[in-house]
Amino acid sequence: MPRGSRKWVVGALFIGFAIVLAVPAAAQVKIRFQTWHWGEKPWVNALDAFKDDFNKANPGIEVVRDESRYADKETVYTATSQAKAAADIAHFQHRPIPMFAERGYLLALDPFIEKEGGQKFLAQYDQAALEICKYKGKIYCLPDFVNPMGMLINMAHYKEVGLDPAKPPATWDQLVEYAKKLTTGSRYGIGLIGARQEGLFMRLNPFIWGAGGEYLTPDGKRSAMDTPEFLEGFKFYVELFTKYKVVPPGVIEQGAQEVRTQVAHEKVSMNISVPQAWKIVQAINPNMKVPETLTAVPVPAGPKKKVTAAEYGMRVISAYTKNPEAAWKVYKYWYSHDIQLRNFQIAAVLSARLDVKNGPEMQNDKFAKVYSAQAQYAKLEPRIPEWPKIGDAVITAVQEAFSGVKTPEQALKDAHASANRTLSGQ
Amino acid sequence: MRSGHAWHDRHLGYFFVLPATLMLAAVLIFPAFITVKASITPEGGSGWNLTLVHYLKAFRDPVLWQTFKNTFAFVAWSLLGHFVLGLGLALALNQALPGQTFFRLVTLIPWTIPDVVAGILFRWVLNPIHGAMNPLIRLVFPSFPAEFQWLSNPTLAFPSVIVANIWRGYPLVMVMLLAGLMAIPRELYEAAAVDGAGKARRFFHITLPGLSTIILIALALDMVWEFRRFALVVAMTGGGPGTLTEVLSTLVYKTYFQFFTFEYASAMAILMSAVLFILSLPYIILVGREQ
Repeated sequence: MPRGSRKWVVGALFIGFAIVLAVPAAAQVKIRFQTWHWGEKPWVNALDAFKDDFNKANPGIEVVRDESRYADKETVYTATSQAKAAADIAHFQHRPIPMFAERGYLLALDPFIEKEGGQKFLAQYDQAALEICKYKGKIYCLPDFVNPMGMLINMAHYKEVGLDPAKPPATWDQLVEYAKKLTTGSRYGIGLIGARQEGLFMRLNPFIWGAGGEYLTPDGKRSAMDTPEFLEGFKFYVELFTKYKVVPPGVIEQGAQEVRTQVAHEKVSMNISVPQAWKIVQAINPNMKVPETLTAVPVPAGPKKKVTAAEYGMRVISAYTKNPEAAWKVYKYWYSHDIQLRNFQIAAVLSARLDVKNGPEMQNDKFAKVYSAQAQYAKLEPRIPEWPKIGDAVITAVQEAFSGVKTPEQALKDAHASANRTLSGQ
Repeated sequence: MRSGHAWHDRHLGYFFVLPATLMLAAVLIFPAFITVKASITPEGGSGWNLTLVHYLKAFRDPVLWQTFKNTFAFVAWSLLGHFVLGLGLALALNQALPGQTFFRLVTLIPWTIPDVVAGILFRWVLNPIHGAMNPLIRLVFPSFPAEFQWLSNPTLAFPSVIVANIWRGYPLVMVMLLAGLMAIPRELYEAAAVDGAGKARRFFHITLPGLSTIILIALALDMVWEFRRFALVVAMTGGGPGTLTEVLSTLVYKTYFQFFTFEYASAMAILMSAVLFILSLPYIILVGREQ
């Protein structure tokens, strides 16, 4: 190639590279929206609609999909936060919020909230759930959904064994009696979680608290798991499997999704679940006419009180976001009335936004109104930094009792001792 | 000018290895330094306010000691299984049989499957309701329980994880031993056969001595791999039932990412590395002697 031509080629290549490199600089801001629900039906439909609508209405900002997995969402967020590369907006349940705030991983939302009207803006949301978003005087999230636990029952199975679905079990004795009747050769009365995941607590806690048990002493300084009441609730949960044999085998391997799969394939007749479980069951088995087959009922009351657990979904903005203003815009859009209502319609989560929660759609929905009515009985486990370790000891105790490694009494005793060691800083 | 060229020639190699060295420093040395520093920093602390309290806590932690025992048992049984299965298959694949190449490829398949996939695979196979294991056993033993629990059974959970790990990891040892077998001169076997040595004597007096160095290297490398095994255990049991299948890697992970005690988890990781280094010393000495 002649030397003169070579200069032109090199020059053209250089200009071409410069253009290619310059184009991204003028491109839109990308906001990574992280949740494990990108990989779940029907949630992904709500998320895709949200993403597409926002991107269309806001040409300068692009919401991009950022996937995590339920089992390691906190792990991923911790690791990426330490690298100062966490997703701009991430999704968790309520438990890790204090830990993340303490470590400086979360952006305090107070300045944005002030600009939106302060208390008037916050008044739109469930106030009890909003308290969970506060840490050391600052607000680190808005509550997305408030999901009290209820129970899904298979009406067809009930009728088969002569039970009336309109009269679900209201006490523990009735729960055992019904579960025994529903347990046939190929089917079990109730699905339970025994796998090491936070969903276990939402199934276990109604029984612990229903018996009058508490995890901590009133001053929060010592474990209260050595009380007869705590043992009563713990034993009842375990004995549904070990003594009454109304739970499918392999309970230690069963997580929330496995149990929902059992419901979808009619291997179990009852399941303590979150409000959106029926939609997930429908997605797992599209052939099952879920609204005609399943119905929602309250969790049976314990001997001491009627109480249930709850799941609070929160979205956070990373303290390391490079575009806080754009992230807030996306965040606020997610929490708008129309998006929250659509999330309920598609994924059946109970929005913490009051105008959606109290609106006709949720109030008239067959499943939502039952779950929503349980909110007044909902309770959370202790929100202390030591909870993850205490919770792990409790799960260990549940698994040891399920598998027969230890008696429920010994397993709980060891968990109690472990919790006290944790609380004393050992 | 001549001395400049000589300097250049003497030091050129350093420039070639510089990129790899920088990468090694970034992905290995720097994180190791950060981990060591975290392990001697008070919980929630920062800067250079140092302490050994996490190491003292580790030495007093009964859960950590139990997990060390679990890990040693896991590694020992896995190594034994890999050696027995690997050596057996290597001896078989060293024979001049029809389809030798095909079988050599097939026996490598477990090694190509990622740990977490292997764990999920075995979890499905061993599922008491939907798994394939129980129906297969019932074909031979019809009285075997239809919904027998494997991973929820306190006696069988750990052996199940070990069997899965043996299946997943034997090809590494097999390939190394096969290479060693192929390097043993056939004339030695022919001479021994002429002298009247049977198969057993040939195995113990020719094969094993000929493989001794390779066996040590294979088991040393395998030990390092198995000590760090994580994804397969998490996918199969999550460390349960209770803590029966908890190994060091899963405990460190849990302590760091679930309990948010970064400093104590770092101390546990350093202790794990120290033990692994001590166990690897025979291999390091052997390689040094070979060189």
